[in-house]
Amino acid sequence: MKKKLVSVLLTAAMGATLLAGCSGQQAQETVDTAKDAAESASQAVEEVKDAVDENVDYGSGEIKVWVADAVVDFTNEQIAKFQEAHPEFSGYTFNVEATGEGDAAGNMITDVTAGADVYVFAQDQIARLVTAGALEIVEDSNAEVVKAENDAGAVAAATVGNTLYAYPLTSDNGYFLYYDKSVVTDPSSLEQIVADCEAAGKNFYFEVNSGWYQTAFFFGTGAELTYETDDAGNFTTCNATYASDAGVVALREILELTQSKSFQNGSSVSNATNCAAIVDGTWDSEAAKEMFGDNYACAKLPSFEGSDGKTYQLSGFGGFKLLGVKPQEDDNKLAVCDALAAYLSSEEVQLARFEAVGWGPSNLNAQQSDAVKADEALSALADQLQYTIPQGQYPGDYWSLATSLGDSVISGEIKADATDDDLMAALSDFQATCESYAK
Amino acid sequence: MARSGGKKKKSGSSDFGKALGNIFKEIGVTFVEGDIKTKLSYIIMGLGPILRGQVLIGVLLLLMEVLFIWYMPAFGWQYLSKITTLGTVETQKVGRKTVYGDNSFLILLFGILSIFVILALIFMWYVNIRENRKEELLLKAGKKLPSNKEVFLSLFDKNFDKTLLALPVTGIFVFTVLPIVFMICIAFTNYDKNHQSPTNLFTWVGLENFKNLVSFSGAGIGPTFLLVLFWTLVWAFFATFTNYFLGMAVAMLINKKGIKFKKLWRTILVMTIAVPQFVSLLYVMKMFANDGLINGYLLKWGLIKNYIPFWTDPILARITVIVVNIWIGIPYMVLIATGLLMNIPEDLYESARIDGANAWQMFKSITLPYMLFVTGPFLLTQFTGNLNNFNVIYLLTQGKPQSVNLAEKAGNTDLLLTWLYKMTVNDTNYRMAAVIGIMVFIVTAIFALGVYNLLPSVRDEEGFQ
Amino acid sequence: MKSYKTKRTVGNVIAYILLIIISIIWLFPFVGLVLQSFRSYATEYGGMVDYIIPHHFSLDNYTFLFSKADTNFLIWYKNTLTISAFVTVFQTLIVLCVSYALSRMRFKGRTFLMKFWLILGLFPGFLTMICLYFLLKMFGLTQAGAIPGLILVSVASCGMGYYVCKGYFDTIPKALDEAARIDGATRARIFLTMIIPMSKPIIIYTALVAFMGPWCDYVFASYVAFGHDTSYNVAVGMTRWVWTNDYQGYFTRFCAGGVLVAIPVTLLFMFLQKYYVEGVTGGAVKG
Repeated sequence: MKKKLVSVLLTAAMGATLLAGCSGQQAQETVDTAKDAAESASQAVEEVKDAVDENVDYGSGEIKVWVADAVVDFTNEQIAKFQEAHPEFSGYTFNVEATGEGDAAGNMITDVTAGADVYVFAQDQIARLVTAGALEIVEDSNAEVVKAENDAGAVAAATVGNTLYAYPLTSDNGYFLYYDKSVVTDPSSLEQIVADCEAAGKNFYFEVNSGWYQTAFFFGTGAELTYETDDAGNFTTCNATYASDAGVVALREILELTQSKSFQNGSSVSNATNCAAIVDGTWDSEAAKEMFGDNYACAKLPSFEGSDGKTYQLSGFGGFKLLGVKPQEDDNKLAVCDALAAYLSSEEVQLARFEAVGWGPSNLNAQQSDAVKADEALSALADQLQYTIPQGQYPGDYWSLATSLGDSVISGEIKADATDDDLMAALSDFQATCESYAK
Repeated sequence: MARSGGKKKKSGSSDFGKALGNIFKEIGVTFVEGDIKTKLSYIIMGLGPILRGQVLIGVLLLLMEVLFIWYMPAFGWQYLSKITTLGTVETQKVGRKTVYGDNSFLILLFGILSIFVILALIFMWYVNIRENRKEELLLKAGKKLPSNKEVFLSLFDKNFDKTLLALPVTGIFVFTVLPIVFMICIAFTNYDKNHQSPTNLFTWVGLENFKNLVSFSGAGIGPTFLLVLFWTLVWAFFATFTNYFLGMAVAMLINKKGIKFKKLWRTILVMTIAVPQFVSLLYVMKMFANDGLINGYLLKWGLIKNYIPFWTDPILARITVIVVNIWIGIPYMVLIATGLLMNIPEDLYESARIDGANAWQMFKSITLPYMLFVTGPFLLTQFTGNLNNFNVIYLLTQGKPQSVNLAEKAGNTDLLLTWLYKMTVNDTNYRMAAVIGIMVFIVTAIFALGVYNLLPSVRDEEGFQ
Repeated sequence: MKSYKTKRTVGNVIAYILLIIISIIWLFPFVGLVLQSFRSYATEYGGMVDYIIPHHFSLDNYTFLFSKADTNFLIWYKNTLTISAFVTVFQTLIVLCVSYALSRMRFKGRTFLMKFWLILGLFPGFLTMICLYFLLKMFGLTQAGAIPGLILVSVASCGMGYYVCKGYFDTIPKALDEAARIDGATRARIFLTMIIPMSKPIIIYTALVAFMGPWCDYVFASYVAFGHDTSYNVAVGMTRWVWTNDYQGYFTRFCAGGVLVAIPVTLLFMFLQKYYVEGVTGGAVKG
């Protein structure tokens, strides 16, 4: 019995020491709390303290880390620094593998036990990962730090039900407009962009068959679609108003856009040809600069004149990249993973990551740094962010359903001359299916 | 398996019953008439042969029993005992540590394996009894038993088939039969993204998944299933016959009298077979994209005003995959047909020409009947192959474009097989994937067994040699 | 008679024109692939473009593929070669064994075995991927051990693909066997010293088909090797460049990789085409 207690306390204390690496003050506080908690079992605490002071044996093992290929080198460097700062973890080896945010969730779910111990994923996967048991709850003291230091949207994105399941890493998973200055004369009007592109015989890319980009229209006109989840990642309620006048205006605008000969469905700069404007995110900023050359420019999303004559600003999601820790069968290893995740999502590392690869930080202090503020793409994103809603939790089926809706529009299955009633019927079906995902 | 086998077995069911009766009779008779060595062999396998000097056979049998006795408690039983529930112990948190409970997946997998092991042992036990019987009868007749050396050497002569087939059969059993039985079982469980091992348990649900497949109301996937099935059949039909006839046409063109560089033309076509499909098809996919090469040039040359939505229009996408498949498939047909066409006796054509037949008439009454006769089996295997032609569809469209009218992420160009693939890999919806898989099997089996029975080599195997 | 001749010349001209058009269509994607692979990365970036002839030619993409610091392409290539080599050897051996047993020997359960395998072959393989994955995992043959794992799985099930080879054996007269057996040769001896030397075309065909398989294996390989970059084969490694958003501007690199992947298989194919045709034709006729 005593042994068990010791080990529990040991973990608590360990978590505390680990934090010292990222934020001195916070760590001090947590160490204090740990001490308070331990006072009731004084003897055990003595042992724990001794242990901590003498650099307890964390055992040894291998920790797998999955990040996108572009940041593998960066992550290796940071882990080297992390190891330097934590000689007590010397028994562990760290393996960084290139598995992108898109693949990570799918691979984790295929076989949790063979998956990475610490991995980066796009927030839309979080509920799925929690259900599959691929995410460990963020350790309490770390959770406090995360909540205090990151922007509210990022924290919400990492929270399922009322539990924080992941460490926010970036706050840049939103989209805005990259365009060619020599072609697009007025980036604030969708109609003008399309007209300019048509006149120049160039393409305008907007991935309307993606549930992520599509919301720019629906949320822009005031239609809503959000979900609530319980702690286990199950969807409990769906708030949807797509089947409304606002939804019809949005869908009609998408329809009209897809009728343009300049319209191309897509959001990847490197797959775009003959492109004059593209709705895309910060991860493509380097590629966009490369492509547009001197004519490179970016701006918030345009507004459009709806079929009802009113002007709407395109909205959309503000999204986040998250860092998750896999549930572990070994307390020591979990402690090391926690520490690593906390470190990789800390202010300094977020800033360093921004400098290395241009990913916009979610850390509030890092966001205030001059370099971040000066970044063109990030400021366009920041402009756009005021019109967007932070992306909460969505069931996996939603994304594919939205793709179906988009595909049906592009393919003409929903006809260009459809009446409002037709559109309303399509949206009612869509909404009903969305609602059916929440039980 | 059982489904397709059932039809055939019906006629043989009484035979089967009789055979089973004989087996039991044999076991009984052997025991009653057997000496003490034989009787002991009923408990200790291989004892009889060992005592009679047939050490090789005896030790082998004994080894099987020992292995079994070691396997069951050490490994098999822990899974087999839970197979009815697929596990009940849930995953727990102790502090922050995770303690995994029962792993339903492994319970099912190794439970099935253990059942097979038991069946294998029962079979070996029967073999053991027959061996005893055989030896006893031989001895009774006053003959000598073969020496161990003779037994061993027979593996390279009389019993050479056992030597040759042992490894392949084991391999196929472990890596094909076992997984297939496993997946058939999955169709009767609720194994999906909400019941994922090791964190969550899954369990038996009976026919629920099949009900979902044929449910046409609400969230049921019945209508989608029928649409996808329909397209799968249409695709297989067109993919097979366009390739067949166009391939034959190209082959005839190359074989035409007076055409030079025959080998060059053929080699050019053969490139598409040699270059791995993931390279060539992905490139072709990009080529036909709305913003790809083809549309780019057509627009530049002013031949079209708007891009042609090769992949995004449902009908056009279907046509495009069939056209691209022609590109992929013709070379095979050309290879096959060029050789065969030369086998047609030239004087047939000569006499037809003298009778005043034109090219089309000659093709219709000489070439086509001959080709259909010779390549009939090929044509039908091609058809079943196309029913399951994953690469062409998946590398080109991934089943897209999707539609609001189709459930479960099915797309307009999805075959049953690609749909199934997406269900397993993207959605981890194994329960429905298993059901669709069984359906794919049934559809393919209907056609393939048709082929099998039509193959002259099967109907008249001995006569062929 | 003259009209017949002119008719024939006209016919031939049309045939040539058709053949040239067909050749262009068939070669077009490959020409495009090769041209794009030489597009300069430095000046034209690596994304998709809507023109076929690069404005600047360079070897940028190939240098990238050969630089160990930038990509694991060479490792993937080596992996694929390793898998292909092993699969070729073992698969050929097993197919020969199975074909011989089924063609020459008559044993209990023979027709059952053939029918059973035929039926097994009708099950869609993807269904069993997850199961195979966990079976392999039990032996430690996933992720880091994916290469031997992939070899094992391909080799284990290849016995079912005996049709073409057995069909060939069936055409070798049985009288030869009988004669040899009367002279006292064992089955094994007949197999090794008579049948195998007579089966060069079909052995080459079987080996060629076996060799080509692993180069296209995307589906199962990605399933077994996930999350372990150095265990990928070329198909898994390179399709990521096309399908995932993590890789921006990799299109020309994909083309360059595609060219490199196509080279060994195409070369082999060119040289061994004769045997391939023989096997395919035999298989088609015999089913």
